[in-house]
Amino acid sequence: MRKIDEQEYQKRLEQISDLFSGMIQHADELSTERCPYKNRFDECTAKFGCRNQGKPLSPGGLLVCTGDDKLDYRSAWESV
Amino acid sequence: MATISDISNEFVRNEIEEYIEEPDEREQLIATFAKIRPEMQEIAAALIDGAHHTVDELTHKALETAEALEVMDDGLIAAMRIVGIKFRENFIYVPEVLGCARAMKAGMKHIEPILSASGIEPIGKVVMGTVKGDLHDIGKNLCIMMLQGTGFEVIDLGVDTKPDEFLAAVEENGASLLGMSALLTTTMPNMAVTIETFIDEDLRDDVRIMVGGAPVTQEFADDMGADGYGKDAMECVALAKRLLAEGVEAAG
Repeated sequence: MRKIDEQEYQKRLEQISDLFSGMIQHADELSTERCPYKNRFDECTAKFGCRNQGKPLSPGGLLVCTGDDKLDYRSAWESV
Repeated sequence: MATISDISNEFVRNEIEEYIEEPDEREQLIATFAKIRPEMQEIAAALIDGAHHTVDELTHKALETAEALEVMDDGLIAAMRIVGIKFRENFIYVPEVLGCARAMKAGMKHIEPILSASGIEPIGKVVMGTVKGDLHDIGKNLCIMMLQGTGFEVIDLGVDTKPDEFLAAVEENGASLLGMSALLTTTMPNMAVTIETFIDEDLRDDVRIMVGGAPVTQEFADDMGADGYGKDAMECVALAKRLLAEGVEAAG
């Protein structure tokens, strides 16, 4: 099996880490104004119940998020 | 100067044309992808699309002939740059980013044996899970993405994890770190119950325990006997590194 130079690998890890750090920071900022479980199609990806969940657009599809993100969406989340 | 038509993969070409608006970034990405071989562009396209099974298959195949660093640079990292920009510009959101991170992990899985054969081991092994009764996982998943991106091996137990499941995973995997997440005040006490389980089984000294989640505080973490509290994914990584170093120091 071919080998990898450790220093070269570390450089890649640093690049990945930098990329992910930026994304985490943006995710943090975004979470104050948009539910993090809501995908690009405004569908809910949560595994738990939420009062903002509406009927899916197509049979078997993800539930649609009906929240407007103007209020703190967390109060709508339900426990198991 | 390279142009968009120098990129052979149509999906990658469309992604750059449609989503990369900053001229400098666009130029840089075109220059990068124009030099990337079609097989690697195919991996990149699948990653941007969050198609983890395809990334899995293509990476496995590519590594039969390609160097691992080429796969990392041209297939995985280059694609993640596009994902990062799309996220920053709100074309995609956290669920899509986590899908792409999962796809990246599917590719990295095939690089791990090469790392191991090269004498490069993960910097630490962490068991992560959301506690019993709690189904909220975004925070935990972002922590996992960050931990893996920093070189940790992560065993993800998912949501609604019972104390004995945490215990079994730590024992089975020989993990030196355990991360627990809770988002509800009603499930937070299950972190303490899990720590008690480790004490009862005489395994508390074998593992460093970190906790996090919106309602969790440093005070609560101290009260329940956790080794550390992280308020977000960035702190989770810093904490994991610190606890790991302390563990090594204590053992030495």
